[in-house]
Amino acid sequence: MKVLFINGSGNASELDAYMATVMGLVSKAGHEAKELVLRDMNYSPCRGCFNCWVKTPGLCVFKDDGDILCREFLSCDLAVITSPVIMGYPAALVKNALDRIIPLIHPHLEDVGGEVHHVKRYKKYPAIALMLEKAGDTDDEDIEIISEIFQRAAINLQSWLKFVMLTGSPAEEASHAIVNN
Amino acid sequence: MRLSIINGSPRATTGNTEKLLGHFIKGFLEKDGNSVEVLHSIKHRPDFIKEKEMFRDAERLLIAFPLYIDAMPGSVKELFESFEPLKGENTGLKLMFMVQCGFPETHHTRFVARYCEKLARRLECEFCGSICKGGCEGLTVQPPALVDKVFSRFHDLGAVYGETGELDPVILGKLAHPEHLTADNLKQVIPMVNAFLWDGWMKKNNVLEKSFDKPYGD
Repeated sequence: MKVLFINGSGNASELDAYMATVMGLVSKAGHEAKELVLRDMNYSPCRGCFNCWVKTPGLCVFKDDGDILCREFLSCDLAVITSPVIMGYPAALVKNALDRIIPLIHPHLEDVGGEVHHVKRYKKYPAIALMLEKAGDTDDEDIEIISEIFQRAAINLQSWLKFVMLTGSPAEEASHAIVNN
Repeated sequence: MRLSIINGSPRATTGNTEKLLGHFIKGFLEKDGNSVEVLHSIKHRPDFIKEKEMFRDAERLLIAFPLYIDAMPGSVKELFESFEPLKGENTGLKLMFMVQCGFPETHHTRFVARYCEKLARRLECEFCGSICKGGCEGLTVQPPALVDKVFSRFHDLGAVYGETGELDPVILGKLAHPEHLTADNLKQVIPMVNAFLWDGWMKKNNVLEKSFDKPYGD
């Protein structure tokens, strides 16, 4: 299995160290682990122009690292988004990155369980998992709100939310959740 | 009454958020003495100096944004992060939100609306409601009569707000309709949006045959 770790930490921190440990365990278990450090990448926020759907289908008009985000997301089996919780939600670094992968889906709509969602552009999409680092003001309700939103986002990204974990949990537990089906 | 508005749309003055806000504002300004100031936050990232000033000084603040992947656009999350040092700085602030989405059902906006309500508490402001509206991508292809109805409801919501200082729950409910689509609605709406909005748009750009292109492989 190929696991993509999307590191949404704004600076080198304990979260980096924790992730490195988890990645080490995932590799040791025989899986491929790759990391994207968002703070070292260069990508503009999505401007909502829809050109990636209606003008250059599948490609964003911005020529920046959004291209890497799309390519890496699509080619992994599980995208583990690791992020500090800031003001009750994963970092803007992460949200801006997710907004930039919409070229991977198609504008057409379909009925998914009685609701309108977008259709696939590609055959296969990765599962998504969240590893969240709580802030001083993060409470259980925040984690619930985030989980709910990501469950829905996963549907629109042709994915599913495999788990939501807190970085306080032992690295072995995180690695186990990642590699187990 | 003075109303401050932050339009968080990445499309700034050219998007549906701006259009809907325009009708709300028009209604709001019908009352003598009412005034409004609007900022487009995408222009002020990443420091959001003007928005922070607005947050500190405002009596009533409406933050509006389109739904991007089931949540606020990344640039609006940047804005919220920039407000972190302002927690408790304006405890009298009446804070409202407006979330509009392209999907036909308003239900899609409810999850981030829950986040917004929590955000108001986090900032120690008074949460005064969220205007939630689905079906906005369709505004460009819907029959004019339907579009006018949406616009006039935003106008009325603004007018009542301008008089009473409250978001009228009855108008909010009407705006939010349909919260979900029936099975019959789904069967009607989906092919219509696909053909008239998306395929029509691609056709105009001469790329309909590339619609399902896979530039990143299979």
